[in-house]
Amino acid sequence: MIEKLKIDFDKIIGSLKLSNKDIESRKKNLYQFVENGFPNKRIEDWKFSDLNQIISSSIDSLRFHSDLTPSETDKTIFIDKFEHNKIIFTNGVISDIDFSHEDEAKVLLTKDLDQNEDFKEVNSLVSLNNAFVSNYIRVTVKENYSLNKPLIVYNVTTKDLKFTAINLKMDIILEKNSCLKLISLFDDSSENNFINIVQNYDLGQDAILKNYKIDNKENFNIKYFYNNINLEKNSISENFIYSTGSKFIKNEINCNLNDQYSSAFINGIINLKNSQHHEIKTNINHLAENTKSYQLIKSVLSDKAKGIYQGKIYVDAKAQKTNGYQLSKALLLNENTEFNGKPELEIYADDVKCSHGSTSGNLDEDSIFYLMSRGLSNKESKELLINGFLLDAVEKITDLEIKNLIKNMIGIKE
Amino acid sequence: MLEVKNLKAQINNKEILKGLNLAIKPGEVHAIMGPNGSGKSTLSNILSGKKGYTVSGEVKYFNENLLDLKIEERAHKGLFLAFQYPLEIPGVNTNIFLKTSLNAIKKAKGKKELDAIEFLKLVKQKAAELKFDEKILSRQLNVGFSGGEKKKNEILQMSILNPKLSILDETDSGLDIDAIKIVSEGVNALRSKESSFLIITHYQRLLNYIKPDFVHVLINGKIVKSGGAELALELESKGYESLS
Repeated sequence: MIEKLKIDFDKIIGSLKLSNKDIESRKKNLYQFVENGFPNKRIEDWKFSDLNQIISSSIDSLRFHSDLTPSETDKTIFIDKFEHNKIIFTNGVISDIDFSHEDEAKVLLTKDLDQNEDFKEVNSLVSLNNAFVSNYIRVTVKENYSLNKPLIVYNVTTKDLKFTAINLKMDIILEKNSCLKLISLFDDSSENNFINIVQNYDLGQDAILKNYKIDNKENFNIKYFYNNINLEKNSISENFIYSTGSKFIKNEINCNLNDQYSSAFINGIINLKNSQHHEIKTNINHLAENTKSYQLIKSVLSDKAKGIYQGKIYVDAKAQKTNGYQLSKALLLNENTEFNGKPELEIYADDVKCSHGSTSGNLDEDSIFYLMSRGLSNKESKELLINGFLLDAVEKITDLEIKNLIKNMIGIKE
Repeated sequence: MLEVKNLKAQINNKEILKGLNLAIKPGEVHAIMGPNGSGKSTLSNILSGKKGYTVSGEVKYFNENLLDLKIEERAHKGLFLAFQYPLEIPGVNTNIFLKTSLNAIKKAKGKKELDAIEFLKLVKQKAAELKFDEKILSRQLNVGFSGGEKKKNEILQMSILNPKLSILDETDSGLDIDAIKIVSEGVNALRSKESSFLIITHYQRLLNYIKPDFVHVLINGKIVKSGGAELALELESKGYESLS
C-alpha cells in the first residue's frame, strides 16, 4: 500500500498548485499516516471499530487518487419543497455551489487549497486527509448575519466510483452573532470506497450553528467524519446525527467549549440492520466556566448490526459551574446484535454537574401485546414502539422545518 | 358468542385454570368475581391471546376457535380487553395510536378507514361523553397519566373501537368513586343487544353501577358458583371463604 500511496500522493501534488510550505506540510502528514496506517483495535479509541480490518476485508486495493472525469450534478437528489442553499460534492469534487438566497457580501466562500497551516497531529486519518485533500471549501458567515435559508451540503457518489479513498475538507466560520443552519446529506450509489471528511467549525461570540448530518441511503461505503468544533463566548452548537445508510461510519466530534456560556448539543440516532457498523465518538471539552453540554444517542439494532457510542466529557480545572449530560439508550432487536457504550467523565473542577447513563435492551413484550390487542399487527406494533423510542432524540431538533424533514426521512408519523 | 369449555391453563408448570366453563350470549353482561390468585387475570389474558400459557380445552367465539386466532385478529373480530394495568408507551401520541388502532380494525373488516378529520370528530364526541379531557389525547400514550386517566383511556378506546365482547380486567381497581361512576356510565352507554361484557373484579362495588345479568365465582381455577346480580351482594357480606 505504501508504494501506491506515494505514487498517488505525487499525482495529487502534481495536479494542484501548492506552495512549498503546503507541500512540506502535506509530506509530514503523509509520513504520519504511513507510519501509523489505518487505525486498528489496539488503539483505545478504535477498540470497537477496527478500521484497518474493515477496510482490508472489503477493499482489495485502495486508490488514493481518482481518475474519474468529474460528473455533472444530479439534480434529482435535491430536496424539493424546501428552499435552501447548496454545495454539492460529486465523487469528492465540488460540482455546484448555489447561495442565491443570500447576500453575497455576507457569506464568503473560498476553495483555496493552500492551507498555509503548520503540521498538527490529530490522528492518522486526519493526517491522511491533510496529505491528500484536493477539494476544499470554506464558508465564512460575516458578523451579525443569519442566513435566510439553510445550507445543504450534498455528498454524492456515483456507481462508477470504486475502491477509492476520498478526502474532503470543509471549514465553517461563523463570525460574531451570526447564524447558520447546515444539513450534510449523503447520497451514495457507489460501494467499497473510503470517504474521509474533516470539518472544522469556528463559532464566534453569540454565534449559532445548527448542524444536521444525515446518512440515510443504504450503501456499502466506509466513512469517517472528523468534526472539530470551537465555541467562543455564549455561542451554541446544536448537532443532530442520523446514522443509518452506510456500511460503516465513525462519526467523531471534538468539541471545545472555550469561553463562558457556550453550549454544545449532540443528539443522534443510530439505526442499523444486516452487518452495518456505526460509531459515534465524542470528546466534549469544557474549558471555561458556565459551559453546558448535552448528548442523547438512541440506537436501534437489527440482524447482526453493531452500534457504538463513546462519549467523553472533560472538565478542566477552571471550568467551574459546568453542566454536562449524556445518555445513551439502545434497542437490540436480535440476539446477534451488539452495542458498546463507553461513557467517560474526566473532571478536574469541583463545582460541576455531570451525569451519564447507558441502557440497552429489547422491546417490551407487554407493550407489544397491548398494542396488538388493539388490532395492530406484530410488525406495526414494533414499528410504533421503535418510532416512539426514537422520537425524543428527534424532538431535540430546534428547527421546526428541519425537524419535520428529518421525521419524514425516519418515517415517524404524526 | 363466547363459549368456553373445560379451559385449562398452565404457566411455568403451575396450573392456574383447572377446567373452566362459561357461555356468554350477545347483549349479556357477565361478572367474574374471585379472590386474589384465583385465575381471573389469566382468563382475560388467554381470551385476548397473551403468550406464555399452555392451554387446553375449547374456546368458541362466533363459532371460530378463538385460541387459533392471532392477538390482532381477535381485536379485528371485536374482542377488546381493558387492561388492569394499561401500559405506558413513550413517544407514541395517544391520538395517533387510537387512529392506527381504529383503522387497523376497519381495514381488517374491509371497511373504509377514517381520515384525520373524521377521526378527530369521533374522538371529540366520545371523549366528551366520557368527560375525558381532550388535551390528554395529544400526550404520549398513558405516559404520566394518573391511574384514573389510564382506566378512562381504556374505556375511551373501547367506545371508539365499539367491540362485540369487552373484557374489563379489574377496571375498578385504583379508581375513586367519581371515576368509577364515569367509567361505568361509559360501559353502560355501550350496552346493546349485540355487545357483551365480561367484567372481572374483586369487589361488588363496580357492580352497583354496571348491573350484571350473571355473576360467576372463580376460585382456584374453577367457577364454583353462578347466579344473578344478587350473588355479588351475597359475596360482599359473606366473603369468598363460604364458597371454598
